Amino acid sequence: MAQAGEGQRGGPAGRIAIVGAGPAGCYLAQALLRAAPGLEVNLIDALPVPFGLLRYGVAPDHQGTKAVTRQFERLFDRQGARFFGNVTVGRDIALDTLRASHDAVVLAAGLAGDRRLGIPGDDLPGVIGAGRLTRAILEHPDADPLPDLGPAPLIIGNGNVAIDILRLLSKTPEEFAGSDLGSAPGRWLAEGGIGAITVIGRAPAGRARFDPAMIRELGRLSAVRISVGDRGGDADGPEAAARLAALAAIDGHGAGPRRIRFRFALRPVAVEGGARVEALRVVRPDGAEERIACSAIITAIGFADAGLLGRDGLIGAAADAESGLIAPGLFAAGWFRRGPRGTIPDARAEAQALAGRILAALAPDPGRAGAAALAGLADIVDWQGWRRIDARERAAAPPDRVRAKIPTRGEMLRIARERENAS
Amino acid sequence: MKITILYGTETGNAEMLAEDITASLSAEHEVECRNLSEMDPRAFDPARFYILVCSTYGEGELPASARPFAEAVAAARPDLSAIHFAIFGLGDSEYAETFNHGPKRLAELMAAHGARQVGERIAHDASGGDLAEDLALPWAEAVVAAARERLGEAA
Repeated sequence: MAQAGEGQRGGPAGRIAIVGAGPAGCYLAQALLRAAPGLEVNLIDALPVPFGLLRYGVAPDHQGTKAVTRQFERLFDRQGARFFGNVTVGRDIALDTLRASHDAVVLAAGLAGDRRLGIPGDDLPGVIGAGRLTRAILEHPDADPLPDLGPAPLIIGNGNVAIDILRLLSKTPEEFAGSDLGSAPGRWLAEGGIGAITVIGRAPAGRARFDPAMIRELGRLSAVRISVGDRGGDADGPEAAARLAALAAIDGHGAGPRRIRFRFALRPVAVEGGARVEALRVVRPDGAEERIACSAIITAIGFADAGLLGRDGLIGAAADAESGLIAPGLFAAGWFRRGPRGTIPDARAEAQALAGRILAALAPDPGRAGAAALAGLADIVDWQGWRRIDARERAAAPPDRVRAKIPTRGEMLRIARERENAS
Repeated sequence: MKITILYGTETGNAEMLAEDITASLSAEHEVECRNLSEMDPRAFDPARFYILVCSTYGEGELPASARPFAEAVAAARPDLSAIHFAIFGLGDSEYAETFNHGPKRLAELMAAHGARQVGERIAHDASGGDLAEDLALPWAEAVVAAARERLGEAA
């Protein structure tokens, strides 16, 4: 274990920059500051607002999952971590500059890209990645406009992300009470005119990736009719049995206008259409091909590197990326390190182990500038700036919402710059 | 009174609440706060009052840091008949079928080895409107008052 507390002559016990203020970065900062409260920990995010996936990935109707945000507020309010929002590493400050000014730098910027289908036609208009769609629904400031999904979208994927999208597209306006779904995406959902949603998985149902609890939750939707097609095989273990039981529990649920159909063990081979998507061609387990008509295709088959921070080169060149160390004084955490697998609690467990390794290797150099290297950058949003945005969003929430997100960078920056007392 | 707060956590939320309860009770009591994963089931002290804070994970299972404790209890089969405890749950009603099953399992485990529960097992709902500490701190005061009678002045 490294020694905790203040360094010599009252300076910090080391200066650490973490790139990405999502769950991986925040859990790491929390673990570092618990073990060594004298550290200077600077969390840098490309967005003006913190919390990454919790704000722009976790579904707006899963506020309980977002509750870990309260721990991270304490990180800044009480543990002394500093927030530098609206700073893009590689554009506003070079990674080398960051490394020269800190004893350790940790890349925890996540994976923002959608994995592509990799079949003919996967670039047709009307094929949209789940991450792209989620960012639009969750009002990410850099999101694309909300797309036209037509009356019969098809979702490819069998993980929790696919189920999140399915649930959001299926809910009535009343079912978003208590969420932080914004008014524009709320209108888009209410007026989308979706009549049928098909969910397609490559694997048999027993080997699907979703949590059974996510499936059971669908059994509370009021405006749907759910049918579960051929499961593609029997359960081969307790986890598979739990998935099949959850699917059995929702099969036949509801008599609402929106038809939801689950289908399994289908291999997509081509997206068909002219000016836009018209159908997905799949191969069934018996080898026969089938054409499934649809008005849009949402791919929820995993996330991929979006080319940020030269991840490929860094992770690829690391001797032991598994340890989190990718170069001297440079570490990686969360999905940025391990790829798009693992839950929020997994990020916490990883952070606790990685914090120990970082502190063990830390050789603080009092000559490093730390936060001062970031101080001159334009339009930084600090923690107080985020607090002003947060307060505004909470105050603006309609009665059946917990907040009304500010959807643009410009407005975020304007609010962050306001003096708390203008008088 | 001598109090030990034990938390079983997966995301850290139960740990944070345990720290809040510790801070709140420390003015008047001698309080220690520990992770359940570090609790030896043979080391329970009848002179102390135990407050358990526990979440639920996955399919209504115990959270990660409570699982090693549950395994240790099953292996050690300690006699906890002189031990008094209270338990507070953290859950999310979005997952209605398994809401607060983790703390329920933990309470049953303690009771199965003879430990005596003080007060009601109550639960905070992360999808509800209130903050966990607003529910837990008054509850903690109440169970500590009730425990004082049970444990007697010796504690």
